[in-house]
Amino acid sequence: MSVRFLNQNAEVLNKSAALHMNINAAKGLQDVLKTNLGPKGTIKMLVGGAGDLKLTKDGNTLLKEMQIQNPTAIMIARTAVAQDDTSGDGTTSTVLFIGELMKQSERCIDEGTHPRFLVDAFDVAKRATLEFLEKFKTPVVIGDEPDRDTLKMIARTTLRTKLYEGLADQLTDIVVNAVLCIRKPDEPIDLFMVEIMHMRHKFDVDTRLVEGLVLDHGSRHPDMKRRAENCYILTCNVSLEYEKSEINAGFFYSNAEQREKMVAAERRQVDERVKRIIELKNKVCAGGDKNFVVINQKGIDPPSLDLLARAGIIALRRAKRRNMERLVLACGGEAVNSVDDLTEDCLGWAGLVYEHVLGEEKYTFVENVKNPRSCTILIKGPNDHTIAQIKDAVRDGLRSVKNTVEDEAVVLGAGAFEVAAKKHLIDNVKKTVKGRAQLGVEAFAEALLVIPKTLAENSGLDTQDVIVSLQNEHDRGMVVGLNHHSGDPIDPQMDGIFDNYSVKRQIINSGPIIASQLLLVDEVIRAGRNMRKPT
Amino acid sequence: MREVVTVQVGGFANFVGSHFWNFQDELLGLADDPGADPVFRTAALDMDVLYRAGETHQGVATYCPRLVSVGSRGSLGALSSSGTLGSSSAAAEQHNVVAWSGNVTKSVAKPHERNLFLQSLSEEEQNPSSSNDQNTAKKNVEDKDLVESLENGVKFWTDYSKVQYHPQSLYELYGSWTDFDRFDHYGTAREVVSEWSQMEEMNERLRFFVEECDHIQGLQFIVDDSGGFSSVAAQYLESIADDYTNTPVLLYCVRNPVSYGSPRNQRENITRSLHDAVSLSKLSYYCNLMVPIGLPSLSYLSPLLSIKDDKHFHSSAICAAAIHSVSVPLRLQHVGPASDSAHSSGNLDIGELVHILSDQGRQNMITALDVAMPAPSLADRKDLSNIERSLHCLTPETNDDDEDPYAVESLVVHGALDAGGKRASVSQVKDYICSAFEGRATKPKFSHLSVSPCPLPIPLPFPSIFSSSIGHQGQILSSQDPEGTRPKGSLDVVSVPMAARLRSSNDVVPFIERRSASLQRLGMARGTLGSQILRDWGFGKEEVEDMGEHLAKLLRPFYPEMDLTSDSD
Repeated sequence: MSVRFLNQNAEVLNKSAALHMNINAAKGLQDVLKTNLGPKGTIKMLVGGAGDLKLTKDGNTLLKEMQIQNPTAIMIARTAVAQDDTSGDGTTSTVLFIGELMKQSERCIDEGTHPRFLVDAFDVAKRATLEFLEKFKTPVVIGDEPDRDTLKMIARTTLRTKLYEGLADQLTDIVVNAVLCIRKPDEPIDLFMVEIMHMRHKFDVDTRLVEGLVLDHGSRHPDMKRRAENCYILTCNVSLEYEKSEINAGFFYSNAEQREKMVAAERRQVDERVKRIIELKNKVCAGGDKNFVVINQKGIDPPSLDLLARAGIIALRRAKRRNMERLVLACGGEAVNSVDDLTEDCLGWAGLVYEHVLGEEKYTFVENVKNPRSCTILIKGPNDHTIAQIKDAVRDGLRSVKNTVEDEAVVLGAGAFEVAAKKHLIDNVKKTVKGRAQLGVEAFAEALLVIPKTLAENSGLDTQDVIVSLQNEHDRGMVVGLNHHSGDPIDPQMDGIFDNYSVKRQIINSGPIIASQLLLVDEVIRAGRNMRKPT
Repeated sequence: MREVVTVQVGGFANFVGSHFWNFQDELLGLADDPGADPVFRTAALDMDVLYRAGETHQGVATYCPRLVSVGSRGSLGALSSSGTLGSSSAAAEQHNVVAWSGNVTKSVAKPHERNLFLQSLSEEEQNPSSSNDQNTAKKNVEDKDLVESLENGVKFWTDYSKVQYHPQSLYELYGSWTDFDRFDHYGTAREVVSEWSQMEEMNERLRFFVEECDHIQGLQFIVDDSGGFSSVAAQYLESIADDYTNTPVLLYCVRNPVSYGSPRNQRENITRSLHDAVSLSKLSYYCNLMVPIGLPSLSYLSPLLSIKDDKHFHSSAICAAAIHSVSVPLRLQHVGPASDSAHSSGNLDIGELVHILSDQGRQNMITALDVAMPAPSLADRKDLSNIERSLHCLTPETNDDDEDPYAVESLVVHGALDAGGKRASVSQVKDYICSAFEGRATKPKFSHLSVSPCPLPIPLPFPSIFSSSIGHQGQILSSQDPEGTRPKGSLDVVSVPMAARLRSSNDVVPFIERRSASLQRLGMARGTLGSQILRDWGFGKEEVEDMGEHLAKLLRPFYPEMDLTSDSD
């Protein structure tokens, strides 16, 4: 109580109260996220104070939306969100796992076990589980031509937990094709090279993959073509608008005529640049039925647009910075920063460029490109929250495919891994530790089962029945998971239910660390924020 | 026509912005209103400079501010972040869950109550015809209720906004681990911007508006620099400087008087000093002209105004009026450099304004803002009512002596009145200012004057901040109003003549000096609480030194001898 002496406002929770505060927070968070898990989970509709809507089933999004106040819950939530940042999935599972570890520990502690024993045992169990995961995982040969079917299965598993089956299956192909499109051998996959664009228009099933790029703006000149085939694409970052060269260099003029001359001289520089581009166009497009498109990161002012339009060039200004990179990957050529030495090699190529107008919004499609190394997923939906929901799902799908390609492995899903790992811990690992630590290993093994249990619960099945029948199958040497329709054991391999290896690894790694930290807290001192505030 | 894009970042900046756009909306309304003062029609300010024309998905034409507003989540009150446009689709359709076939749990936050004013706005929208036919007596009573409800119950900046915003305009910052109630210093914003690539989204919003502009003249950037938003703004400005290299940025740093509340302990005191120093250094780095606004108290600003410091609704109104006045020259009709028109004189664009104030004489980019609200009538030749003298400084920590021979200033006078409450003509105002100028003891090195006959219109949702000696048209009455000392508001005053001045002089030296000193004293010393705080904010030693150097550079124009010493080593 010496803290009290130093700061009279400080509030101190002693050993058991501190522990129970942590355990309750973990359980509370688990309860909130429990219903999300799996393809039969519940979607949450959040309506804000101004009537704005958000639909989500993603643990990550929910945790961020909840504005958690309880410090323990924040700690768990941050771990879970960090999980999402590194591997793109598994937020809900992490929270469930931590919650269950705390719950199992509570039982042991109430029976008189010191938290230290549990923590040591958790460490042993964790290492054993990770070793087991290495043996249990299903390797995937990636090589030059990855097996599309495996990738599709893993993408489908992820997407089906976020969207209804029909839409999920449709997106599966899109997601897999997108990742394969941007993949370069021996280089990490940069998912930013998949542009995700949305249009509030039509229906969710109109979502499609554009091999090429969709830009969210159009040309700004009435005479430019709205549709062109066989196009050379010039990607550039060159200012084509009249501006004072430097803020510090003003004009010094003594009469209006002089000023006009100065302006004209400045203007001439810009015109000069436009002329270079037109010259190149005339050179490469001479005679043929080819077209020329300029996509500029900087501005293009109306006089320049005029010149370009008269030369039959389509020009877009102020392209997104990231699109410059994507354009080059999609169409070829290179992004130029000056028009001084333009050659044909700088140019990219697209079979079709056209504009789509939706109210005041314009979209420019750059399609039919050769050898694209960048692509766009065009999401359509009737309203903003549906679009947002699909967008989140697509992101998760992309991450899961990327993980598989990089892990070169997957793990059997539908709870099969957790049941198998539990069996391994009880049968083999428990014997290797002595004394009360055995209880810890047991608790850890029991906590793993939270995944199949929750899956069963969310599907409206009897949890105990399901767990018993799964364990029986495993005892007979069959590796099975849960069929969420019937509650019967199934072979996940046959049904194509797979999880990411790296996601599973992360969950098993980080869950026990946080749980151990929370268990070892024996005093909580508050001197500032009120920690008894409900979450 | 040269476009201006406006950016507002942070709580108080949005309060100011809301008033600013209400003025613009009122101007638009008055220009179309045959019953209004003809000066609003003839002296047209070019509204296309600030507004954009567009259409909704349903094909309805819209005219919205070219604006990106960034606020914390939940700061929009009853307004949806997608703006007021395009929300017309039926609510039933909105609540359909189309992409999920399983169970749905609904969690509904308590809806924000719409105050009387917002209710009357949406009513008017639904049946515009009936509102005109109502007898005026009844309507007046109703307006009085509206004004009173605003006077006492403004919680969000949207509570008194009558402007339609574009769906791209309003951006809410989400911070999962950030408590926006305690978003009170530079370090609190570290995680916010990187999370969910929010900066990218903010850049996208801005790009949307800039892409449309044929000849953008610059950005008008208003930031609430009293808390974490100054860090958000600094990062925003940095990426703006990157993307739009030659687009000048005019930055207003606004603060509400409440943010000056006395610190609770030593640590908070140090935190505040460091915050001020860091945000000055960071914000000034990526803009072209910086105008700090925000006195610790506005109650005694002028005997003609009665502003309640604790009401954001009050204190933001005067800042918005001043910013409006400064923006007037940006949208005057362009005439030849020498010629003159009956309706305006002295148009400027942001680039020229920056050039005048910061490139001539001293290369100082921090300017003070003075405002006269209302500007006295030209007929009053008494000393006290001279326009120059009635200007009150809104910039904190300035020294008051006028004796800087190197000062550079830009003065805007609009809607000034002549004897008997007549509108003064442009040339009258010019003559008047010139003669006043001649009489000054120390003249500034350069002074630019912009004049427009168009006064500041007072919209209905405007706080009652005028003293009882202000007349219907904003004239200063010599006799006290018999009604007593009750402050007047939008029902009694329809328009106000204004004068505002941006002044680059050694007035701002104490402002910069204090910040530079506190960074040196608190932040540089090893092992002190201050340096610890800066480390917590994520600044390394070198970065702190850079900031200190930048602040010293801001001071250098005022001390030419310092230049010599730094050159020699």
